[in-house]
Amino acid sequence: MSESIAIESSKRPKIDIVDHAVTLVIVCLVGLIMNTTGPGTAISDGFVGMVVIYLISMAGLLLTRFAPFYLPSVAWISLVGILVTLPWTPGSEWVVAQAKSVDFLALATPALAYAGFAIARKEIEIAKHSGWKLALVACFVFLGTYAGSVLIAELILNLQGI
Amino acid sequence: MNAMRGQMELWRLHLAVIVVGVIAELIGIRKIPFGIGAILLLPLLYAFVMAALMNPNVMPKFAKFIGKKEVAAASPLIVIAIMPFIAKFGTTIGPAIETIIAAGPALLLQELGNLGTIVLAFPLAVWGLKMGREAIGATFSIAREPNLAIIADRYTLKSPEGAGVMGVYVIGTLFGTFIFAILASVFASMEYFDPRALAMACGIGSGSMMAACTGALTSAIPDMKDEILALAGASNLLTYATGLYVGLFIALPVVEKIYEATAGKNDAANAAHKEA
Repeated sequence: MSESIAIESSKRPKIDIVDHAVTLVIVCLVGLIMNTTGPGTAISDGFVGMVVIYLISMAGLLLTRFAPFYLPSVAWISLVGILVTLPWTPGSEWVVAQAKSVDFLALATPALAYAGFAIARKEIEIAKHSGWKLALVACFVFLGTYAGSVLIAELILNLQGI
Repeated sequence: MNAMRGQMELWRLHLAVIVVGVIAELIGIRKIPFGIGAILLLPLLYAFVMAALMNPNVMPKFAKFIGKKEVAAASPLIVIAIMPFIAKFGTTIGPAIETIIAAGPALLLQELGNLGTIVLAFPLAVWGLKMGREAIGATFSIAREPNLAIIADRYTLKSPEGAGVMGVYVIGTLFGTFIFAILASVFASMEYFDPRALAMACGIGSGSMMAACTGALTSAIPDMKDEILALAGASNLLTYATGLYVGLFIALPVVEKIYEATAGKNDAANAAHKEA
């Protein structure tokens, strides 16, 4: 699995738009159930919000497939989400209001559930084989990266005086 | 309509995700008091654990409901399930564009915070734990997909460096959300750092790491929720653009140089010793 990821990330993958459109509907419906259960948003508000989120995701996927240059789908989707909510974009206030009724943590819950079901035997073998030393190093990698980013950001914000 | 039929055949997987997700959402966010602050447990963490416990590769006894077919299908579904999440983050960035631009220099430069791993993890791996060349792959980056590609390209994933980066990659996949939820909880509890700096640093990893990190931050500092989401989202987007280059042109060469100048000499001496 990992070999293919490494290779795919440097090439433009062929996205089957119809296939993604259907799967995204299912994923959004699952997300809507979470949004209604956890944060307790009324399903009528959540539904319109989810439709907006779906359309942003689809626009991003279409750009990933057909734009003249390649960016990963998550980057395109993010850029579309930004563009339609910029203050000077017509209708952005409405989009922002609808998207507000969708909770970001409720959308992350199903993604992590799929991730739990996707754990492959090979990953467990690698984790076991790597041993406690590499696990400890990994914790320091995450701590070092996070702390490094915090410190630099803190320093620059202080220098800017904002 | 093959796509529709394909997904319908996976009804067990989608149903299991709904059940697991609903239980996780009903439990909700929990605070565990810990030292000076609290560690925040999030629904996404419970969902991951419950799903992993139903995974036949983790718990072979429970292979009845979720089978090999579902496990294989779940992997590409993560990518699609993260898309609405990313779209939602995008919609928090647009309205906050002025905040983002004002914080632009901090946002751009904190990408170099990736190098913090060299300061902290590399010495531990090489001098503390006496690891060999796998330390190069393990400590030059946060080991997400672009970094795997760098090592695969330069050393292949079957080399010691490849084993190092793969080990950290897999540990990040399995435990990254927990580690980031704890990191963000602890840093927020200190009440020393600017929440905006903590938010920017949440964007350095994968989407699910960002979810756990921002989830913990917004629960600890609810007043700044909009700003936290916007800054974390912007930082994550920047990471897609810069992460590969910081790893390829700065972090990896630096780690290689330090390794060759220190532990690498011992490797060479040992090799010469054995031959003699």
